[in-house]
Amino acid sequence: MHAVTEDEEKWLAAGITGLQQNAFYMHRALDSNNLKDALKYSAQMLSELRTSRLSPQKYYELYMRAFDELRKLEMFFREETKRGCSVVELYELVQHAGNILPRLYLLCTVGSVYIKSKEAPAKDILKDLVEMSRGIQHPLRGLFLRSYLSQVSRDKLPDLGSEYEGDADTVSDAVEFVLQNFTEMNKLWVRMQHQGPAREKEKREKERSELRDLVGKNLHVLSQIEGVDLDMYRETVLPRILEQVVNCKDEIAQGYLMDCIIQVFPDEYHLQTLETLLGAFPQLQPSVDIKMVLSRLMERLSNYAASSADVLPEFFQVEAFAKLSSAISKVIEAQDDMPVFGVVTLYSSLLTFTLQVHPDRLDYVDQILGACVKKLSGKGKLEDNKSRKQIVALLSAPLEKYNDIDTALKLSNYPNVMEYLDDGTKKEMASVIIQSIMKNKSLISTSEKVEALFELIKGLIKDLEENLLELDEEDFHEEQNSVARLIQMLHNDDPEEMLKIITTVKKHILTGGAKRLPFTVPPLIFNSLKLIRRLQNQEETVADEDASATPRKIFQLLNQIIEALSSVPKPELALRLYLQCAEAADDCDLEPVAYEFFTQAYLLYEEEISDSKSQVTAMHLIIGTLQRMHVFGVENRDTLTHKATGYSAKLLKKPDQCRAVYACSHLFWVDDQDSIKDGERVLLCLKRALRIANAVQQMANATRGSSGSVLLFIEILNKYLYFFEKGVTQITVASVQSLIELITNEMQGENSTSDPTADAFFASTLRFIQFQKDKGGAVGERYEAIKL
Amino acid sequence: MASRRRMLLKVIILGDSGVGKTSLMNQYVNRKFSNQYKATIGADFLTKEVQFEDRLYTLQIWDTAGQERFQSLGVAFYRGADCCVLVYDVNVMKSFENLNNWREEFLLQASPSDPENFPFIVLGNKVDIDGGNSRVISEKKAKAWCASKGNIPYFETSAKEGFNVEAAFQCIARNALKNEPEEELYLPDTIDVSGGQQQRSTGCEC
Ligand SMILES: Nc1nc2c(ncn2[C@@H]2O[C@H](COP(=O)(O)OP(=O)(O)OP(=O)(O)O)[C@@H](O)[C@H]2O)c(=O)[nH]1
Ligand SMILES: [Mg+2]
Repeated sequence: MHAVTEDEEKWLAAGITGLQQNAFYMHRALDSNNLKDALKYSAQMLSELRTSRLSPQKYYELYMRAFDELRKLEMFFREETKRGCSVVELYELVQHAGNILPRLYLLCTVGSVYIKSKEAPAKDILKDLVEMSRGIQHPLRGLFLRSYLSQVSRDKLPDLGSEYEGDADTVSDAVEFVLQNFTEMNKLWVRMQHQGPAREKEKREKERSELRDLVGKNLHVLSQIEGVDLDMYRETVLPRILEQVVNCKDEIAQGYLMDCIIQVFPDEYHLQTLETLLGAFPQLQPSVDIKMVLSRLMERLSNYAASSADVLPEFFQVEAFAKLSSAISKVIEAQDDMPVFGVVTLYSSLLTFTLQVHPDRLDYVDQILGACVKKLSGKGKLEDNKSRKQIVALLSAPLEKYNDIDTALKLSNYPNVMEYLDDGTKKEMASVIIQSIMKNKSLISTSEKVEALFELIKGLIKDLEENLLELDEEDFHEEQNSVARLIQMLHNDDPEEMLKIITTVKKHILTGGAKRLPFTVPPLIFNSLKLIRRLQNQEETVADEDASATPRKIFQLLNQIIEALSSVPKPELALRLYLQCAEAADDCDLEPVAYEFFTQAYLLYEEEISDSKSQVTAMHLIIGTLQRMHVFGVENRDTLTHKATGYSAKLLKKPDQCRAVYACSHLFWVDDQDSIKDGERVLLCLKRALRIANAVQQMANATRGSSGSVLLFIEILNKYLYFFEKGVTQITVASVQSLIELITNEMQGENSTSDPTADAFFASTLRFIQFQKDKGGAVGERYEAIKL
Repeated sequence: MASRRRMLLKVIILGDSGVGKTSLMNQYVNRKFSNQYKATIGADFLTKEVQFEDRLYTLQIWDTAGQERFQSLGVAFYRGADCCVLVYDVNVMKSFENLNNWREEFLLQASPSDPENFPFIVLGNKVDIDGGNSRVISEKKAKAWCASKGNIPYFETSAKEGFNVEAAFQCIARNALKNEPEEELYLPDTIDVSGGQQQRSTGCEC
């Protein structure tokens, strides 16, 4: 292979040298106005193009050099005619060149000057040239010669408004010339396929593919002819091109030229001749990549439709959708073995087209999806990556277009297509759907839609058949967080419907398994609590007796949902949620409900939460929530506070016990509740905390011979001060005073170690006392009694 | 030097598909514009006579296909270019981002002897669209890029309205003219001594 290219470089170099050598003498002849020599050397120079050794791209290099030289010759010819040499004579003269290829190049070059001179009608000269070019039947050489002809005649076609326009219908002469050149070039190009040994097929196809633009160029030239209006395109140009394309029966030519037609001619023309154009497809060789060409056509038309609303009537007028849709079905039907990728690509393009042209025709969209399902149903799940990507594109298109999941949910075939996705792709699609909802902040407002939506995104909601082994933890979290955000977003103003939505979501997420529940349960609980709050605000105005959306009923539901977490198990999370619900129930004045939630929380605390750190956190949550509860009667409250203090005293570590116990003091004295003002028990809690702090200190003394954490004492002192200021009579000046002394001694004691935190804390506590003293008024008076 | 070569100025227009290369050329050469998009296949040129200091030059303007699949034969026609015009659409980011690729590809394939000083010109086309409201590339940004590539002249154009097209091509022609032609000096090796001298003297005359 390498040797071949090396040889080729050598041949090219030799060709260039030969060419330059003759060009050199040609220049001399031109400079000395020696026509005879100019012709001689230019013909010799052009002989280099007779080589058969170069690949198309190399030949093109050589050709370009000759081409540049011929421009100089052309200028010379023009000057000659100005000096009085007859162009007709020149045209005759160059025909004496010995070899046919140089002769024809020279002829084309003089022909160009001839046309410019207007001494004969352009049409006649062009006709002559295009006919004579038949003399070259070697494909490569013929193709380049003819593209030379095409190039030099490019600005001399007798087009409308051109200076070469004749009297009668010369546009069709121009068209005829280009069409004829095109036809001949295509024939040469196709013939290449059948020349040479079979083993060189690949090489030949590569060469042909390099040459294709020479053939296609003619179509570009046709499209640039001003006089080719719609009528002429419909009546002559398109039928003639298609005839050549169909009849050549060559796979490479057909695929390429169809693509060219589509790209080169304007959209309006395609729309007005859609039937003819599409009619050609079934006549092409079965191996032509029709789906590619068709989808490019649809892409083009979609862009056209998108360019301006003014053009849409054109589409309706010619019933473009119906035509494209039927053409696609025919192609798919005819090519029974078309791979899934091809099918999906076609439908995908048609869908894009439809969304652009008929955004209001959901039925069309659904129809396309339906057709897709029908085709997929025979093939089972998609296996290859390309098809999967294509189907994701297909399903994403309506979401992007409508910016609204609502519309997609109306498409009955949408979930059916999803069914054919493998689990990974299902998940990917589910993410796309959720992202679209987030991006557009779409409201999904009925339980029916929620049901449909969760059915669509079930790839994220529960384990599908494939297992989760390969799942990346981070990806999983991200996915589930997006589901959580989705749940949070669901809303309907009507409480009844909202309750239905909640019930629907509950049904779906409970299938999610232990890994998902911790992500999905909390947002559902919070969303439900929002509803409860709404109801509670309403209840004062309307009390609908038969309503099913009552706080009580919803709380029941929530209880069940939280209970599901027990299987995970995530007792800390469940406890937190129970307490949240309890607080909400408190707001709704539902004592038994609130009590029930507390009971559940306590149960979890006793039976499930065993880690000491979690216990501490849980305990403080319980105490904090309980403190805020208003709804409990004396009896229930007693039971709950009693237990809470009991749990506190039983925490594993003494300092934790101490802190929890003094926190419990707040359970007995709540500012805004007159019934909870039990100074005795506040004092009991604080004393108990002191005892524990003492024990901590003694233990520390025993083990390390140094004073234990004086911090606990200072913390308790602050509690004392709090209740003292509130006017709890059981908290006496004396008790505060003695506590201060105790701490002072402790800190100055012989075996005390310095603790900067404690020092600072104590100092600021004392400063606080002083500050309160200085305040004067009732507070100042109270503090007055404390001596520092 | 009044060689024939110097009377012909070769210009190559490059840029992404749809930016308006063909439209600019048609506007300049034929004063015509069409809203229809007709993709270009391969490469070819139109010529236009321009006058400079009492001398007539022929501008050979090569229009190329922006779509890669319609450029199957390679770019042998870059050879001998005197100026390269890079076009982008001021409303399409990608077309601006690709300018550099087009420029580098040109330098690589045409391999001019002095790439640093080879004349390029950048055109930001379609400034008419939406009264400029749908622009995504500001004039400032485009100029900054041009400045960073050795002070490439920059024009904002509309092929549709003919805005700045003439001025841009004037500049193109002027810069093409400034470009030193790279005639490969060819001396036939079979030439005799007297012929050699003769050759030299002809060389001086032109
Ligand atoms: N509004 C507006 N449209 C333009 C302008 N220039 C070109 N167009 C349109 O843009 C589309 C593409 O223009 P072309 O000149 O064919 O683009 P191109 O760069 O030659 O494209 P390729 O041949 O594919 O490389 C056509 O529909 C033109 O009508 C302009 O200045 N303003
Ligand atoms: Mg073009």
